[in-house]
Amino acid sequence: MADDLDPSEFEETARAAMAACAGTADPAARGRLLAEAGLLGVIAPEAVGGLDLPIRFALPVVKAAGAGLLGYPLIEALLLARHLAPVDPALAGAIVEGRTLASIAWTGCAEDRSVNGLPMGERADPVLVFLRDGGAGLLSRGQGCHALASTGLDIDLPDSTLVLSGAKPRMVLDAAAVAALRADAALLRAGFIEGAAAQCLALAADYAQERVQFGKPLSANQVLRHRLSRDALAVETIRAGLARALAEPAEGAAIAREAVWLCAAQTGPAIAESAIQVFGGMGFTWDVPLHRHLRQMQAQATRGTAIEGIDALAEALLADTENEWYGDLAYAG
Amino acid sequence: MNLYKSTTLKTPPPAGAHAARARTWIAENLTDRLRTDRAHDTPATLDELIAFERALHAAGFAGITWPREYEGHGLGPREHLEINREIGRAPMPNAVNSIGKELAGPIILAVGTEAQKAELLPAILTMQHIWCQGFSEPGAGSDLVALRTRAERVADGWRLNGQKIWTSGASKSQRCLLLARTGRAEDRHRGLVLFAVPMDAPGVDVREIRSIDGQWSFCEVFFNDVIVQDSHMLGAPDEGWNAAARVLSIERATNRMYRSWRFQSELEHLVAACRSDRRALGVLRPYMRQLAQIRVEIEMLKGLVETLVERLMTGSEIGPNGSFPKLYWSEAHQRFARIACEIVAQFPAVTEGPLADVRARMQDIYLASRAETIYAGTTEIQLDIIAKRILNLKRAA
Repeated sequence: MADDLDPSEFEETARAAMAACAGTADPAARGRLLAEAGLLGVIAPEAVGGLDLPIRFALPVVKAAGAGLLGYPLIEALLLARHLAPVDPALAGAIVEGRTLASIAWTGCAEDRSVNGLPMGERADPVLVFLRDGGAGLLSRGQGCHALASTGLDIDLPDSTLVLSGAKPRMVLDAAAVAALRADAALLRAGFIEGAAAQCLALAADYAQERVQFGKPLSANQVLRHRLSRDALAVETIRAGLARALAEPAEGAAIAREAVWLCAAQTGPAIAESAIQVFGGMGFTWDVPLHRHLRQMQAQATRGTAIEGIDALAEALLADTENEWYGDLAYAG
Repeated sequence: MNLYKSTTLKTPPPAGAHAARARTWIAENLTDRLRTDRAHDTPATLDELIAFERALHAAGFAGITWPREYEGHGLGPREHLEINREIGRAPMPNAVNSIGKELAGPIILAVGTEAQKAELLPAILTMQHIWCQGFSEPGAGSDLVALRTRAERVADGWRLNGQKIWTSGASKSQRCLLLARTGRAEDRHRGLVLFAVPMDAPGVDVREIRSIDGQWSFCEVFFNDVIVQDSHMLGAPDEGWNAAARVLSIERATNRMYRSWRFQSELEHLVAACRSDRRALGVLRPYMRQLAQIRVEIEMLKGLVETLVERLMTGSEIGPNGSFPKLYWSEAHQRFARIACEIVAQFPAVTEGPLADVRARMQDIYLASRAETIYAGTTEIQLDIIAKRILNLKRAA
């Protein structure tokens, strides 16, 4: 099936679905709209109602979500529909159909009695939580757990803390399955951020050409032209890095994926910050949506534990080299 | 005394057939004398570097995409990239004839006559002709079309008068890719003409300029009533330059395609050398988060380069998109060089072995990298190109 399709064919459908979602305040209704557009099952197996397409087909969907400030745990829905399908096809099918709003608590583990980074946690049921052994389990409401209100930045997709008081997660994914889910998550998050960052750049570039000061548009000033050019470079860098990671280069698919995720987590919010600066006082207002993009991208960086990712990469870099020219330098540490 | 601990080679990552062949050849032919990750009391001579570069071509690893009839190897951009990854991974010296192979050659292929191609292209690859680039002038740097060097029609060809500057490698070159004008400086883009000027022609005067790294590769070149023939002109006036500008946009994107992998190998060398000494390892540790960030940037640079290769493969225009990898690489490499220089400055006092070698290399890279945001279009010019030609930002209401 994938051979007959191009991921770009999903772009228009995804944009239209995001626009429709923006018109309704009810997250459950947004889920149904996304399901009706066939977007929640893009990468889920056919057995659960999905299209069983490779992950690259989900990229236009998450990019549109990032650009459209989607208030629905789309990344979590895509991941759960794909990765739970072998162990809980009924639940995966309900997610694909938009009947169940499920989510993932991205930070912490169940044994610590509380987990965090749970997008739309106050509505989600069930919730996937990670376990200390590297696996993951499902928790349902009323199983000795309750969600606390968001303390994070994201207002469109607020994060919750889930407090576990005697709850026992139902083990569904082993460590290898969780690693595969996290690998997909890195790509989807980077795609979401690319969409959001590109939207911030487009808004800033338009505003810079409309806003006249000192008798000329802001875009006539080299300092602003260069700022926007740097932001364009940053967006293009994420785009190209994602294309490369999706192509799974033989010299290192894992590092290509991790790098684009870490790059997106850092540069995405910086592009929103830059756009706010271009807008001046208007950029600091609640009504201009740049702060919502900034909040969403910062939340993605937190959910994806980008800081820990950089430290893990540093450890890997220090531990070994794959370049045979330096194999004669023994480790003295 | 050999201060390197062992000679165990690690298992390299999988590679295609061209890469595997390149890897084997480089391992067998890159001698200690030529390695850039070793400090040398007496650096490799020009003759040694030329011989290595000639052998590199003979083995199939230069002129990769050039047609076979001109001594090229007739392969595509993907094979070029595959081989360049291996060139980048190894501590190989920079090409003496990069202007010939990466600038003059592609322009000759685009606009040269059949006779010019047959004469000039094989001579580049066999290192008979080393080329320099005569574009910048004292009054025409970033604003290249302000150049004033005149090409005047005379009975037996053209008379050239003017001055070029920042002409890397002119004192060891046999040919100069010269950009001159047939009319007045006010004509700007009109009347520009390209020549392949023999550097031994009467009236060509080369003076070396010492650069901040202590080297003497920079030059200024004076053309005083230099007579060249029509056969030295590359394309007609205007036509040659317009075609060359298109080639330049591709070259900006693809030249030194190995740079991401060379950059990575420099980082790996720094870390590996520090790992080999407890004192240096202590210096290195606080910098690891910054170096991990650099490692991310190297991967992203590979994405920018490979995107352009794919565009070339599908016949798409490169155009202003070549500015992205140039801008990204030059600034990321400078950031790395600054961190690396700070690290090696804290090393214990050693005069030989891995720490001395990596210190010398990182100091060289630090100084040389200052030019990277200046040459081939400054950072500011790249940002202007993106603003104007990609974002289409207007300048007036």
